[in-house]
Amino acid sequence: MRTAALEARGVEVAIGGKEILRGADLTLEAGQLVAVVGPNGAGKSTLVRTVAGIQRKSGGAIRWMGKDVRELRGRRLARIRAFVPQSARVPEGVTVSEAVGIGRSVHIGPLQRPTRRDRDAIDAAIERAGVTQFTERKLTTLSGGELQRVQIAVALAQEAPVLMADEPTSHLDLGATVSVARLLRGLADEGLAVLLVAHDLALAAAVADTVVVMSEGRSVAAAPPGRALTRERLAEVWGVEASLQASRGGRTALHVGWLDQRVRQP
Amino acid sequence: MLVRRSLVVAVAAAATVAAAAASLALGAVDVPLADVIDALTGSAGEGPFKQIVLELRLPRMVEAAAVGAALGIAGALLQGALANPLASPDVIGVTGGAGFGAVLILLVFPGSIALLPAGALAFGLLAAAFVFAIAWTGPNAGGVGRLILAGIAVGALFGAGTTAILTAYPDRVQSALFFIAGGLSSDGWRELEVVWPYFAGGFLVAACLMRPLDRLALGDDVAASLGARPRLIRLVAGIGAALLAAAAAAIAGLLGFLGLVVPHVVRLAGGTSSHTFVIPVSALVGSALLMAGDTLARTVKAPIELPVGPFMVALGVPLFLLLLRRAV
Repeated sequence: MRTAALEARGVEVAIGGKEILRGADLTLEAGQLVAVVGPNGAGKSTLVRTVAGIQRKSGGAIRWMGKDVRELRGRRLARIRAFVPQSARVPEGVTVSEAVGIGRSVHIGPLQRPTRRDRDAIDAAIERAGVTQFTERKLTTLSGGELQRVQIAVALAQEAPVLMADEPTSHLDLGATVSVARLLRGLADEGLAVLLVAHDLALAAAVADTVVVMSEGRSVAAAPPGRALTRERLAEVWGVEASLQASRGGRTALHVGWLDQRVRQP
Repeated sequence: MLVRRSLVVAVAAAATVAAAAASLALGAVDVPLADVIDALTGSAGEGPFKQIVLELRLPRMVEAAAVGAALGIAGALLQGALANPLASPDVIGVTGGAGFGAVLILLVFPGSIALLPAGALAFGLLAAAFVFAIAWTGPNAGGVGRLILAGIAVGALFGAGTTAILTAYPDRVQSALFFIAGGLSSDGWRELEVVWPYFAGGFLVAACLMRPLDRLALGDDVAASLGARPRLIRLVAGIGAALLAAAAAAIAGLLGFLGLVVPHVVRLAGGTSSHTFVIPVSALVGSALLMAGDTLARTVKAPIELPVGPFMVALGVPLFLLLLRRAV
């Protein structure tokens, strides 16, 4: 069996004395899209930020390509995984191509200039993320969906085999959500290991190979969508009477008993 | 894009050269440009022109250029590192501290006036050190909001100290006014000999931070995910800005406004926020503005010298407002 891109076991995190993660597992493999779902405050973002090396862990093991995350500081880690944060700053006066160039900086030494290879990688990232038509526009003039695709282009310019995105679709309309979802699924099909944090269970079920369910700081399930998001688990973790329906061709629907009083409170 | 930036660099460089020439040629006595060049190249015979240019105006021009460049760069470093368009040397307490140090020497120890640059420098750096110590300890150490709030609080503390001294020695307030308004003097190389290492340190920090600062543009999370260390970059940028602003205050008094406006002028004119452009061009524009302002301050009511602060504001604000109106 080949080494997984990411292997995280029993990850624990405490911030300011408060336990946020109490034992979460996560595995990523090339060509796979993993969606991390869970209620607000379940520790989804903390888990992703911790395995990405941005948040310090207080326990457990995180291995990237078989190496301990603590040995992979800085640019070495940045060449293994790219990370799209939940809300990146949108600076004034910065164009799309300049922003994507920032992503490429992990391949350029402190005293080096960008080479032809770097410029090609930036162009390729811009094209793959579908933002070619506004490379010279300022970030402040873009819509939410356009910005999110630019953020993904910044990550793609790193040319890392793993792409992690923390709730990339949370503030987007349906059209923009579908476009980002297609992009991420396409990247996984091209061989990247993709991790997506999502609130939208129907979206997660539609695009993911594996769904990881987080609840109160623990990962309580990691399985294909149909097995991870059962009626029982939706009731237990989210406290709602709901069921997920999936049909062929990647169409999914979440049937929610919005006004149903029969839900057992956990 | 590239054309526009090259044009801005060319205009800034031309303005710097023109301001330097004017600063050497104009004054209570006008020296013809040919004599200025002769004096600089060493081909001038002994005479008043040579003495005026080499002993009075050249040191003063170099001081103006260094102070202008230092304040321009200090502002660019802070605005970039704190991701805040309002950042200037005032924000990290340097201006308040340097003002206190200078007023302390001028009013309480007027016998030790030679210590003025050292006093302004020392208290400017002390105030900044105080701000960094508060901002970089405890939870959320190194956060932007904390640094700015600590800076404003420490600045207010030193400002209150300055006011207290001014009210305690009302008969000597006049001597402090020139420092507070900001102005250069024709004291030869004496002041530069004290502060040049601080300028050098600050310029070196700025040169090393141009690319790291660009990586902060998309926020701390993106920077951290790219292997940069946002808080360390912010601390080093803050230290560099403190060195530059304190050294500038030691020579020319409180001209903090320059540090606020110059980087904005450069960004608006160049249409980019890239620090490899903003930092060096801010240095050029800062020195051009201060050399021009100082020349005006010396010549408008010659032989009386006015403080340069108000002239610089008068030059800088219209340019700034014009660009601001056209900004997207």
